[in-house]
Amino acid sequence: MTATSTPGSLLESRGLTVRFGGLLALNELDIDVRHGEVLGLIGPNGSGKTTFLNVISGVYSASAGSIRLDGVDITTASAQSLSNHGLARTFQRSRLCLPLSVFDNIALGAQKRLDSGLWQNLVRRKEFAAEARAIAAEARELLHVFNPMLADKLFEPAISLGMIDRRRVEICRALIGKPKLVLLDEPSAGMTHDETDQVVDEILGIRKSLGGLTIIIVEHEMGLIERVTDRCVVLNYGKKICEGRFRDVAVDPVVREAYLGQS
Amino acid sequence: MGVIGQHLLNGMMQGTIYGLVAMGFTIFFGVMNVIKFSHGDVLTLGAFGGLVAVWATHSLGLSVPSQFIAAFAAAMLLSAVAGAGISHFLIMPLRNAPPLNMLLMTMMVGTVLREAIRLFFPNGTNPQRFPELLPSGGFDIGSSFFRTDALILIVAGIASIGVVYWIINRTKFGLAMRAVAEDVETARTMGINFARVIPLTFALGSITAGFAGTIYGLYYSEINYGMGLLLAVIGFTAAIVGGLGNIWGAIIGGYLFAGLQTFVVAAIPSMSDYKNVFAFVLIIMLITWRPTGLLAERGSERV
Amino acid sequence: MSKLSPSHKTVPVWPLIAAVAFAAAALTTLVLIENQKILGLALAGIAAICFAAARFGGVTAAETAASENPWLLRGLILIAALAVLFVLRDDNFGLLMVATVLIYATVCIGLTIQMGYAGLTNFAAAAFVGTGGYTAAMLGQKGGLPDPLVLISGGLIAVLIGSLLILPVLRTRGHYAALTTLAFGVMFNVFLDANELLGGPQGLKIPGINLFGWDFSSDLHILGFTFSFYVNYVILTGVLTALAMILAGLLDKSWIGVWLDVVRLDETAASVFGLKIGYWKILAFTLGNFLAGVMGAVYAKMTGFIAPSNFTFGDSLVMVSIVILGGIGNRWGVLPAALIVVLLPEKLQFIQEYRLLLYAILVIVILIVRPDGFVARRVRALRMEARS
Repeated sequence: MTATSTPGSLLESRGLTVRFGGLLALNELDIDVRHGEVLGLIGPNGSGKTTFLNVISGVYSASAGSIRLDGVDITTASAQSLSNHGLARTFQRSRLCLPLSVFDNIALGAQKRLDSGLWQNLVRRKEFAAEARAIAAEARELLHVFNPMLADKLFEPAISLGMIDRRRVEICRALIGKPKLVLLDEPSAGMTHDETDQVVDEILGIRKSLGGLTIIIVEHEMGLIERVTDRCVVLNYGKKICEGRFRDVAVDPVVREAYLGQS
Repeated sequence: MGVIGQHLLNGMMQGTIYGLVAMGFTIFFGVMNVIKFSHGDVLTLGAFGGLVAVWATHSLGLSVPSQFIAAFAAAMLLSAVAGAGISHFLIMPLRNAPPLNMLLMTMMVGTVLREAIRLFFPNGTNPQRFPELLPSGGFDIGSSFFRTDALILIVAGIASIGVVYWIINRTKFGLAMRAVAEDVETARTMGINFARVIPLTFALGSITAGFAGTIYGLYYSEINYGMGLLLAVIGFTAAIVGGLGNIWGAIIGGYLFAGLQTFVVAAIPSMSDYKNVFAFVLIIMLITWRPTGLLAERGSERV
Repeated sequence: MSKLSPSHKTVPVWPLIAAVAFAAAALTTLVLIENQKILGLALAGIAAICFAAARFGGVTAAETAASENPWLLRGLILIAALAVLFVLRDDNFGLLMVATVLIYATVCIGLTIQMGYAGLTNFAAAAFVGTGGYTAAMLGQKGGLPDPLVLISGGLIAVLIGSLLILPVLRTRGHYAALTTLAFGVMFNVFLDANELLGGPQGLKIPGINLFGWDFSSDLHILGFTFSFYVNYVILTGVLTALAMILAGLLDKSWIGVWLDVVRLDETAASVFGLKIGYWKILAFTLGNFLAGVMGAVYAKMTGFIAPSNFTFGDSLVMVSIVILGGIGNRWGVLPAALIVVLLPEKLQFIQEYRLLLYAILVIVILIVRPDGFVARRVRALRMEARS
């Protein structure tokens, strides 16, 4: 089922369906994400938001339908190859390797452009050291955008960081790979209102300094969505029920029923 | 042709014993997410306890049926206490340790039990003769000879599997067990006495080990200090193949393994020394094909 | 220990020198003493000093000094090794024990790469060692192949046999994966016992090593002193252990080490960022098995004889416990753990019968009391390489 590529779209899904046994998690989803936009993906619990991210990033398989990234069909692409296509993501439940240092975690994001051959790593130590220094510099720069103090903790174990710092490290990990598309899965989860505001500012700041980054954000915090996103897509029971700017979507009767009708 | 009957009987007996051991493994894993490798040696402990009970009742001049009952009672009691004790003092306190540490520890506990028996039981290094407590002799069906005691033991074994299955699926205690296996936190908030269910569950699993150990002794007429190790490996294998936490899987796994062994011995008698090799190779292939066991669920996660 | 401190701030070196000297002295003492009472006292003394060192930061000080002065560390180890060899030069049994400890240590370094770095569970380490041993035995019987190649063949055959398990090892997780190697180890033993071609339960005899003309069965004469021929084996195993340590160290302090850790800790995150899980697991598995096979060949040729009973599940269990007791993932911890596990049962004659029982109890106690092992694994510090 080949889909025609809409100009200006970085990511497009057509008829995307995901079934878990008898459960229909995503139901014939058609979503377009334009180059350089920040798209919010919202909806009540269980509406399929995280499932959508998981399918795009290769963690789940699609049962039907297609996904195209920058014109390339990635429906059956493995998670590994997707990072080569310029996709990066964070996870809802923080997926940092806690015993490892901040540096190790962020370096993972740059994995695809690092030399991981045995010869380079075991024998050509000087070249490896140079590469490591370069990555450390980049990592420090990224962390610096959030918090100069965080940049100093580059070689601390990730477990020693607080929740909000861990989130920031995850975002840096996603960004160091210089991706085209970043998926942020509930970046404000587990944080206070003030911390969420901070994260919002930081995300906007990152976007500015990196220029032209396309982001999909899954969120429950409507304040964050309102401030950060250009457009929103609302899901309910795996189907798209509305899309548009947040302030338009927020007053849409179908959307209100989806949220409030759930008791 | 007559040999087939013999093989069938042997296979059924083995399968029953393996199934009982595997059930223990799967119960322990289901309820506490732990592989209790000392299970086989708890079985041995039970068997030796049964032996001592027989000696004691015999020297007291009690009747053979009494000795028979004493053997089972002692074995099951001793195993239950040992199993519950190990769970309470060693496994529960360490339940948040890395699984590898836990696995290593239960293997070491098994070693302690095994060595203790070898060192401290009189003449422990050598196999001990287990007395004949069941009527000897048998009967012919066609050209096959069937031992009476074997048939009795197989029936008893299957009955005990049935009892355990019934306890797990039809009693309140079993419900509590399954609730804890499903989700510990929710079970606790539902008022299930975690501190009581866990040791009782381990006791239940260990009782079946004691039962199996006595059956083993009566069938083979001898027990030795090392019998638990191979039984543990096979029981563990059977539980894994069936899908950890799945009672039916454990039972089926046990009979499957026995079936594979019997097939080799029956079909290629010259290779009977290799029966375990064949069985394990097939098991490994099975596990490769179904990495989470025969009866387990498969998700749609690709990574 | 601030990471912001400039590199020319001096870190005291004497803790490192003291640590190496103490280790050498402890090793020599334990090997030489025969008298059980004195041995007991020596053990207690050594243990007390170790506890005190750990308690008062001596271990950390030594570690820091070691990471800041790697060449000093290597020099000290070399001097200490030569000193120990000199003292033990005519203690045949002592030298044999030291060589055995080093063999176990090297195998366990390989096991560390598999389990500590990549997170694979391997309960068949002894089987892979045995594969190398039997390879050496068969090649020894056929004759013709020079010994260096025999040793390497031991490693290669072990890798080959290991590749049979690759598919199940890759597809299974956790306890299901443990079963694979467990079953393999048991099978290996049963197979060897039953197979007459490979000597059966009685085992096989094997000639000693002859490396490029260096005959291991003849004593060494240096500067007027005579070193028993077992010294040759200690030197060989020592060199191999050092090479294994260097390999593991380089792996750890490189991208490969990071990727292995990530694969071990979170396969989903690893995949999402492009790591090919299978490749890294196979790499770790292969390296570990190669080391095991080579050391198996060395062991076989050193003892001159192998039988299936040398490579049982119990032996694999011992190796796994060395890795865990030493502090899983920390290759330095393997050395003292191997020492204790191999040396003590041999030396403490009065507990010969009870050695397995006491050993098992000891492991249980340590798992409860000090679950991170003797030397816990430290956070990777690529500071030397990645200074801004």
